[in-house]
Amino acid sequence: MGIAEIGHFIDGQVRGSLATPARTQPVYNPAIGRERAKVALGSAADVDAAVASAQAAFRAWADTPPIRRARVLFKFLELLNQHKDDLARIITAEHGKVFTDAQGEVSRGIDIVEFACGIPQLLKGDFTDQVSTGIDNWTLRQPLGVVAGITPFNFPVMVPMWMYPLAIAAGNTFVLKPSPIDPSASLMMADLLKRAGLPDGVFNVVQGDKEAVDALLVHPDVKAVSFVGSTPIANYIYETGARHGKRVQALGGAKNHMVVMPDADLEQAVDALIG
Amino acid sequence: MAISVAVLVGDVADRVMPALAQRTRELKVLDGANLAAEMGPIVTRAAHERISGYIGLGVTEGAQLVVDGRGFLGASAGQGCEEGFWLGGTLFDHVRPEMRIYREEIFGPVLACVRVPDLASAVQLVNEHEFGNGVSCFTRDGNVAREFSRRIQVGMVGINVPIPVPMAWQGFGGWKRSLFGDMHAYGEEGVRFYTKQKSIMQRWPESTPKGAEFVMPTAK
Repeated sequence: MGIAEIGHFIDGQVRGSLATPARTQPVYNPAIGRERAKVALGSAADVDAAVASAQAAFRAWADTPPIRRARVLFKFLELLNQHKDDLARIITAEHGKVFTDAQGEVSRGIDIVEFACGIPQLLKGDFTDQVSTGIDNWTLRQPLGVVAGITPFNFPVMVPMWMYPLAIAAGNTFVLKPSPIDPSASLMMADLLKRAGLPDGVFNVVQGDKEAVDALLVHPDVKAVSFVGSTPIANYIYETGARHGKRVQALGGAKNHMVVMPDADLEQAVDALIG
Repeated sequence: MAISVAVLVGDVADRVMPALAQRTRELKVLDGANLAAEMGPIVTRAAHERISGYIGLGVTEGAQLVVDGRGFLGASAGQGCEEGFWLGGTLFDHVRPEMRIYREEIFGPVLACVRVPDLASAVQLVNEHEFGNGVSCFTRDGNVAREFSRRIQVGMVGINVPIPVPMAWQGFGGWKRSLFGDMHAYGEEGVRFYTKQKSIMQRWPESTPKGAEFVMPTAK
């Protein structure tokens, strides 16, 4: 049996790369050290196709009333709850983390979909009556357009969910570039979104590495980039994205300290340090 | 957002080190699909090599390697795991702030213990680190907790909570070189990040005194 190739999700369809010969990268099961699939590595042409699909879908999606966008997310939430263990299993198979941690990751992602379901309330503006005779002033919040998320291997479900539920709830369309180390969860989420009734083009996935990232960072139709990864890359994403006129949030590295005071419950502290 | 550095204040190190070492050795490192597992494999061969390299570096830099995870055998993680990317839990004591294993992100199951005399030096240590993502303080003293929370230069703080990942409506983001940009991920800042504000000021003058005209305009 040939080894499966994990493709992109563009305009509502799973697709292979446009370039020939297409680049790919092996995807391992780290527990057994064996290749389980190959993932497509997108080129600028694949990014162009995804952004064009997202751009084409933007106007109608942005004009869809927020409550109707929220209804799609409610349906997505229902499907996520039905399939959360399937998502957790695919995380364990490609990332290696223990199954209960993978379930926890999916749960924390689901929290954010629940929050995004409140988008009509979150988008409400402010209104001032009679700022001058016969004049009113109000503010509202409008979506940016096509926005991109570039996400790391360590949380292949939760970190994308930090981004796309709110982005699409707010009326944007989205291009996700997941880590090529554990790419399968992205396609599973794309499938659930489609089944929830999300219009084609609102959520796209381009698999890949630096080549796809660079194409997103310079694309004139990408209005904002969210990134999570290491500090040197976060710095690069921030500078390159900003230079190309994009709004950027780039989350970098960590060295999380835990201070233990002499009066602490030391048994609890040891549990926390090892856990 | 797991803990990378334990900052052990006063006599804490001497009191917890035996338990820490024992727990690290007894970690159930198993195939992640096994429900008894506490820790799974390392994600890639390259990551495994990088982390193993850091463990060697820590020894060279003079930290005390209390538990070495490099000898871990995949076969003990489960059937078929011989060729997987396995590493056991690793524990260093007497890590110093100038060491690379302290300064750099290892991204693996390596806990570095740094000994400090008091709270002020613990806060200073954390604040001088390049990163400011998450931090926690374990104490029973409310005033220590309050002072720590206010003075620490880190975006997400836990008090007796080791991994304080904020809830969906609060937002996630570090300080210093852990975040580039102005807004945190998700929460209300997430909504702001993905939208732009428009202000609309509007006046509707009263209709002209004569009312609307429906005839073709003619020169008068």
